[in-house]
Amino acid sequence: MSRFTYIRPDSLPETLELLADLDQASRLLAGGTDLLIRLRRQEPDFDRIIDVSRLPELKIIAREGDEMRLGGGVTYTELIKSELIQTLTPLLADAARQVGGPQVRNQGTIGGNIVNAAGGADMLPPLTCLDATVHLASARGQRSFLLSDFILHPARTHIRRDEVLTHLSFLAPPPGARSVFLKLGRQRVSSVARLLVAAIGRVDATGRIDFIRFAPGAVTPQVQRFAAVEALLLGETPAPELFERAGAQASQTMQSLAGERWSSPYKTRVLHTLTVRALTQIFS
Amino acid sequence: MQITFTLNDAPIAIDAPPDISLLTLLRERLGITGVKDGCDVGECGACAILLDGLLVNSCQILAPQADGRTIVTIEGIHDETGGPADLQRHFIDQGAVQCGFCTPGMILAGEALLAENPHPDRAEISEAIVGNLCRCTGYIQIVDAIAATAEERQARSGQGERA
Repeated sequence: MSRFTYIRPDSLPETLELLADLDQASRLLAGGTDLLIRLRRQEPDFDRIIDVSRLPELKIIAREGDEMRLGGGVTYTELIKSELIQTLTPLLADAARQVGGPQVRNQGTIGGNIVNAAGGADMLPPLTCLDATVHLASARGQRSFLLSDFILHPARTHIRRDEVLTHLSFLAPPPGARSVFLKLGRQRVSSVARLLVAAIGRVDATGRIDFIRFAPGAVTPQVQRFAAVEALLLGETPAPELFERAGAQASQTMQSLAGERWSSPYKTRVLHTLTVRALTQIFS
Repeated sequence: MQITFTLNDAPIAIDAPPDISLLTLLRERLGITGVKDGCDVGECGACAILLDGLLVNSCQILAPQADGRTIVTIEGIHDETGGPADLQRHFIDQGAVQCGFCTPGMILAGEALLAENPHPDRAEISEAIVGNLCRCTGYIQIVDAIAATAEERQARSGQGERA
């Protein structure tokens, strides 16, 4: 006797119809890289798998006017290979390149990374830097959230049982902006992040910072832009001393948002260092 | 449920439960034991296969996800006579096979890399096998074998062009 059934709908409307039947506990399968591991460790808490990995509606990578749209079913490999992403938001390709090994990148999806909402999820800081909006669909209609509001704390989001994360939308950074993604893990590659930093920045003709976005990952319950760090940098001329102050501010903001934890003595120093490193890379 | 796919160029149609991994389907229902069951949590890469040409861990895929797809396992990698293909020969020559447990996954990772990037440098080769653990060789010989294969294929295709 099989522990659950499996169904692979051909379209998004068909998927939403299946999900609307709340008598069945359904679980979406996008890449399956997390789901299969979980199934080995615990009994399924669902009756039915709905495989959305081949839905064309979830595979879009497109630009409409100023707005970029990225489907929830896009794999890391597809993101890395997209010329549109490489050109307009290289930050996302940089982050995707550092996810797991080739096997996980070929299978895992952006939507899965967001909905699983692991504390060290690689795609959260870069997408938060881009002020990405999460779009959900159900048979009842559509909802959207700013990504930083969508995730309440690790492994907990606003998504409901009958909803699919269809896509993300965001504006590409302004022309001339540079970005950086830093990941610190136990190994150089193929590891779960201890700490992440994503940042986008630009200086104007007079050499002052006129655009800055800064979002660290795996340091606060909700991944978010650190407004105090951005405020400290905006309008200033890039310099090592400025970056040091930004690093100190990042650590302080982290502690005010996350409180004192067992990992604080470590993360305070490391976030400071990575912040300085990220800003140096962007503005050098 | 009925699952249909192409396995090493042969059509497969099999009735299997939907809640087993593709790894279990291949090993226990189809006898494809070149796919190794190492960690079962996507860490070691011993169960790696090519799914529509892409390297994936079969322990992280549900059996019905294979429906309609094309799968290549180590059993599908050989030369025209059924003997070792060039990459496999180089693994042997370079001492890249010791206990052999990681070898099927390593070979497939190597083939996936060479299909996409025929002239990889050593860093790119190392990057391509990060999802495959080897506890014997220290990896150097494996990188050597993939590099030697790339070189040999390049030389061969160069000759082909001149001929």
